[in-house]
This record gives sequence, structure tokens and C-alpha cells, in this order.
Amino acid sequence: MKKIINKPETFVIEMCQGLAKAHPELEFIEKHKIVKKKEINKDKVTLISGGGSGHEPAHAGFVGKGMLDVAVCGDVFASPTTIQVYNAICKSASKKGTLLIIKNYSGDCMNFDGAAEMAKEDDDINVEQVYVNDDIAVKDSLYTVGRRGVAGTVFVHKIAGAAAEKGKSLKEAKEVANKAIANVRSLGFALTSCTVPAKGTPTFDIGDDEMEFGVGIHGEPGIAREKIQSSDELAKRIVNAIITDLKLKQGDEIALLINGFGATPLQELYLFNNSVSNVLEEKKINIYKTLVGNYMTAIDMAGASVSILKLDAELKEMLDYEVNTPALKL
Amino acid sequence: MNKLTTQDFIFMVDTMANIIIENEVPFCELDSAAGDGDFGMSVAKGFKQLKKDWNDVDKDDIGSFLKGCGMIILEYCGGASGPIWGSAFRGAAKCIGDAKETNLQGLADIMQAAAEAVYKTGEKSFGKGAVVGDKTLIDALVPCADSLTASAKAGEELIPAMKKAAQAAVDGAEKTKYISAKMGRAANVGDRSINYPDAGAYALGVIFTGISDAMSKK
Repeated sequence: MKKIINKPETFVIEMCQGLAKAHPELEFIEKHKIVKKKEINKDKVTLISGGGSGHEPAHAGFVGKGMLDVAVCGDVFASPTTIQVYNAICKSASKKGTLLIIKNYSGDCMNFDGAAEMAKEDDDINVEQVYVNDDIAVKDSLYTVGRRGVAGTVFVHKIAGAAAEKGKSLKEAKEVANKAIANVRSLGFALTSCTVPAKGTPTFDIGDDEMEFGVGIHGEPGIAREKIQSSDELAKRIVNAIITDLKLKQGDEIALLINGFGATPLQELYLFNNSVSNVLEEKKINIYKTLVGNYMTAIDMAGASVSILKLDAELKEMLDYEVNTPALKL
Repeated sequence: MNKLTTQDFIFMVDTMANIIIENEVPFCELDSAAGDGDFGMSVAKGFKQLKKDWNDVDKDDIGSFLKGCGMIILEYCGGASGPIWGSAFRGAAKCIGDAKETNLQGLADIMQAAAEAVYKTGEKSFGKGAVVGDKTLIDALVPCADSLTASAKAGEELIPAMKKAAQAAVDGAEKTKYISAKMGRAANVGDRSINYPDAGAYALGVIFTGISDAMSKK
């Protein structure tokens, strides 16, 4: 393992301290490992997200005007605890209530749901939850807990953040967040694995000529191990899969996120965006806005994902709203 | 020996914590095969904290002790392990109440209550909890509890019954190798989880075996 590190035990804490030092409008509460706005606006719906660390800039990098109010930071790839989330809810309570944006994983769901129950019962705080499940690599069936949440979550933060900033009620903010969730899909691939600091070795082995298709954001296996494909081939395959799942048709408007997993240089992400945009243009799907960069990473994994958000007038209005956070400014 | 006192429960949880801390890396590696590799670390974190706060945990009776452990586990175990293992301890605590002594039947009831509490935690978030065959720690916990219940009914001795129950957990964990995960993180990879045991079920097999060995040497 070769990392800029002091010791694995304090990795997440030192990273959050560094983030807060770079962005003085944010504060890091070490006891509960939460990054929050210094000033909480009590007259708007509070938005809280979080999850395991290792996805930087998600989620702490999205705390700021027009997105989140608090990010709860778990250990690397492990959900924060119920008590951490409960403290985040209590320390950011507003008159309009709190919306938790949860990526759909067992641990996150149980901890955020448990915390919401505690805050509702013990502190009379109005809390609602939404669950992001945009990864089409995962089979959705009655027998599983459903699809996992990946990079599409960034769009949900953006949309819900704008709704809250515009003064919407908790119910309205939840509705528009759920609309974004219903209209966003993602699919990704990895060229290398990633190394969790506490473990010190890559999570999986992969050959020089191989890729993991349909990979998640924790270095966990995807749909299949395959020979690596060209950018154009990957773009065609991924865009077609998303178009089918999202039932996109000619003339639809979308927002596009080309998300790097942490170790892929921007030159490759822009090249891949060229391939993806070309396929979308051929299909006559209109790209309203494009984001290219590392938004939802898997530590130092090489690879990328494509997220597509199908837009309507309301989602476009929310997408266009001002946002000013460490990792996203529009 | 057919009675279990508060001291015995303190000894068993202490043994459990030591096993979990010793196996942190192997448990993580098991979870890497089909999950996200955090299991060993997440569970060990809570039990390391438990050892750290050991002197402050209420040890007046079995229920208070188990509840105290459960709260620390809920607060400090990362990932899904906090709610799952925390609820198991708190469910067990509620079942035994302020008793300072119990027997094989009582132990069987405690383990059944722990399994029920884990089920309910899942049910709250997902509409249904895990059952045997979903490839979760339930695949080891339920056979273990059922074995204790059967042994109590048959009037067996405590220590042999505990050994039998530990073997039931190990066998249950072994069976998870041959099934595809329906709940938990490994469900994301479906059939690709086949050939790997569930990390939680496997860990319970190791833990219960260690506890029954330690108890038999007491």
C-alpha cells in the first residue's frame, strides 16, 4: 500500500479535518464524525446524507449552499452508526424538518432508519427518508433489498438541495427527491481494484487486459469479469442499457454525469464523455447538462460510471439553481 | 455445571470479544469475496470499544450487562453490524431481564430472542427480515438457537448442548457456501456469492465454537 497516510485508524478523521480547514464555512465535529455547515438555516428543510467514507468528494464535499447541510462520515466503506446519524439530525434540526438521503445499502438503511426513529420519538423532530437505487447492474427483485445507490446520488443531492433552498416544505422536497430517484440510472466499470487503508491490499485481483463490468463503488464485484473494451464500445453498451431501463426515447432531455472512480485521469473521462455523448446524439437524446469528474469515487479505483437523469421542467429548474459546495459549483 | 450466572455471561462475552478482535483480518477477507470487505473491521471496532469501556458496563444482572454491551455495539460497530449485533444483544437482554442466573432453557430463550431481534431490525428497514437461506448470519444463529431449544427440551447437559449448538452454527455457515445471497450486501452480486460462505454466519460459527470450548475448560 502506498498512500499519503499517518495511520489507518485516524484516516477518516484527519481527512475531514483537512476538508474543514480548506473550507472554513464548514465545521467537522470529530466526536460524531459529521461535516456540517457552520450556520444552519432554521427556515429551510435540512438535508442530511452520508455513508461509508472512500467516495470523496461524496458526501462531505457536497455540503454547502444548494446541496447538503450535513454529511455523516462512516469508516471507509462502512455505514456511519445509528448514533452518529442521530446526532447529525439533532444538531441540524430546522423548523421545516429534515430529509435523509440514503444510498440503498442494508447498513445505511438500518442505521439511518434507526436514527430517524430515535429523533422522531425522543426529540419530536420531523424526519423523512428517501433511498437512492440508481445502479442498474444490480438485479432488482422481490427477494433482495433492491438496487444499490451509486453516482446518481449526486443528482439527488443537487435536486433536493435546490428544492430546500427554494423554501419547499419537507413533503415537497421529499417528492422532488423521489422524482429524481425515479428518473436516474447509472452503470459503471472498473479497470483496477481499490485499496482500503485498514486492509492495505487491493480488494480484488484483476489482470492487465481485464475489466470488471457493472462494478459498484466499494470495489465489490460487478456483473462480470471481461476482456477490456474500447471507450466507444463501453459507451454504446452502457448508454443502451440505461436507455432501455429508463425507457428513454428520441427527443428526451437528460443530465449526464461521467463519474470517475478516483484513479482515472480527467483526460480519459473527457474522452469517455466524447464517446457517451456521441451515442446519445445518435439516439437523438438531448443533453441539457453534463458533469465530468470525480464525484462518487471508490478510493483509488480506475474506471468510470455513467449516470443519466431524465429531465422535466421541474427537474431542470432545480438543476439550474445556484449551488456552491467544495465539490460542485454551478 | 448446569447453571449460568452473570459471571458466566461476562466470561462468554469477553471470550467473544477476544475472538472477534483476533479474527478481524480473516473476517474482512471473507467479506471481500462477495461483499465490501469491511465486516471484520466493523465488528471488531465495536468489541474493541466494549473492552475499553469494560469497567463501566453495568454487571449487576445478566440483562443489564447484555443491554450495556448492546448499546456500545450499536454505537461503535460500523456498517450494518451495529444495528444487527446491537439488536441481538438488546433482544437477549430484554428476554432475560434482571435475572442473575439461568439454565440451558434460559440460554436457548436468549438466543431465540436474539435471532428474533435481528429479524425485526431487518423487517423495519426492508419490510421483511432475513430468514434461513438468505445467506446472512441468521443461517448460523437460528440453527444454533434451535439446537439449544431442542437440547433443553431433551434435558441434555449444558456444556454438551453448547458444543452441539456451536456445531449447528458451523454447519449452517457451511451451507451458505452453496447458495446465492438474497439479503445483505452480498445480495448485490447474486450468484457470484456462490462458493463463498456468508462472513457473518461463518464468524458466528467461529465465535460459538470458541465460547463452548472456553466454557468446557472452565
